Amino acid sequence: MRAKRFAIVPILLTLACKQPTPAEQMDSIVSWLGTAGMAGDAWLRHTTPDKYTRQTLELSSQRLQEISGELLKAPPAKIDTAILDATLTRSRAHIARMARLVDERNSPGFRRELDSLRIQQKVVRQIADGVESAK
Amino acid sequence: MKKILQITLGIVTSIGGFLEIGSVMTAAQAGAEFGYQLLWALLLGTLCLIFLVEMSGRLAAVSRHTVVDAMRERFGFPFFFIVLVGIVLVAFMVLVAELGGIAYGMQILTGIGFPWWAIPISLTVWLLMWKGSFSLIENGASLLGLVTISFMVAAIRLRPEWSSVGSAMLPSMPHGDKARYGFLAVSILGASISPYLMYFYSSGAIEEKWDRTYLPINRFIAGFGMTFGGVLSMAVLIVAALALRPQGIQLDTFPQAALMLTTALPKYGFYFFALSMVFACFGAALEISLAIAYFFAQGFGWNWSQNLKPSKNARFAFVYTLIILLAGIPLVLGIDPIKVTMMSMALTSATLPIAIVPFLFLMNDPIFLGKHRNGWISNSVVAIVIVISFVLALISIPLEIAGA
Repeated sequence: MRAKRFAIVPILLTLACKQPTPAEQMDSIVSWLGTAGMAGDAWLRHTTPDKYTRQTLELSSQRLQEISGELLKAPPAKIDTAILDATLTRSRAHIARMARLVDERNSPGFRRELDSLRIQQKVVRQIADGVESAK
Repeated sequence: MKKILQITLGIVTSIGGFLEIGSVMTAAQAGAEFGYQLLWALLLGTLCLIFLVEMSGRLAAVSRHTVVDAMRERFGFPFFFIVLVGIVLVAFMVLVAELGGIAYGMQILTGIGFPWWAIPISLTVWLLMWKGSFSLIENGASLLGLVTISFMVAAIRLRPEWSSVGSAMLPSMPHGDKARYGFLAVSILGASISPYLMYFYSSGAIEEKWDRTYLPINRFIAGFGMTFGGVLSMAVLIVAALALRPQGIQLDTFPQAALMLTTALPKYGFYFFALSMVFACFGAALEISLAIAYFFAQGFGWNWSQNLKPSKNARFAFVYTLIILLAGIPLVLGIDPIKVTMMSMALTSATLPIAIVPFLFLMNDPIFLGKHRNGWISNSVVAIVIVISFVLALISIPLEIAGA
């Protein structure tokens, strides 16, 4: 009985150390790209404060870097890592420029970066759909 | 005329005071991740809450006992102490989450990080508790909370498919992550059936000197007020499903949630969201602080009334002072209120049996309620929902911790 009780501990520890699956990581990446896009749209409509927009864009970029770093350490076979890495690097560059353009109040430049980000977003979504269907 | 005014005010404050960080974040996460699919959990939670609130008001009006008084008298102090530990621990976590909700609201409005707001907000909540009367706390904050109606306006403006909304009122299995689905269902149930609300409501009935003539008012307030409140929570879920889900946004952080209303209410949606969180969480923080102080004072037999000066019930005032001070500390340290929120809502579900089962026994006790005892319908509805919540909590909380 006592041995059974102790056996639960390593099981719980193993479960607690469980990493998110590649599909979950891809969902998170899509989520943060969507957040940056939506924050960008709202700023262009002059409906959100500059500080909030900049902070949200910076947070999105930071989270994208963290998640993609984890994912690319042990990528699943279905993902073309070179394409994903390049797309995410470009996405983060667009987001970083958008954050800077908020400070400069440069709406036309911001819109161009946002449009480019949307293109990268579509590529990432396709990759995420591929991972999802391969589950 | 006076009673009509009381009913109106009771319903209005129930609506304004219904949403708080737990109900907003659980409903929003559910909408963003599973579309309308978890609406059934909100319906079930609201139904159970209507019965529980009506029961706690009825107990107070008929027996002139608060839930805590009656529980201690009926089951004795040792049993009451177990309930106290469980409920106060979870209520404390919920208080941390509510203070965090106000702080996050201020952060998105000002750009100043939420830990900086922890102390000023805790002080403001404490000051209002120290100086304010019961009706100021109950009505003032709830009236400001009416700004949360903006979620309902947004839901209507987004033109949901009402047939899909209707069919989601029946439970269905998810296509995706089942553990996450279960965890969100549990969190929604925990956010809806908050036991602290029962203690607060029955104490309020005693503060306002309710008697048997208040039974119809109690039924109206519980029925209409909680139903409208539940509809507001459903509106949050619908808005998240229509505004965030198409973008693939899952709500991991508060700044993401702040974008919810910007699609439906482009001009002021962002500010409506921020103010909704500030006012709704402020009202909830006051209610929880008061509920914890009531719990201790009634349980230990101290003087208690929010309408008395702190010098007349020093131990009661000491409890809320200490609890607010302690709740500010995790926020100063930068602990994420969203994580505290989600875990505290799920834990609420796990602790529901110790809060609700003894209460059901009380509600069937002829010594306290005479002919106003529970009927089989209210007993069955509450018992079924509690069993569902508890079983789901037992299964999904470990899975969610593992997944996180």
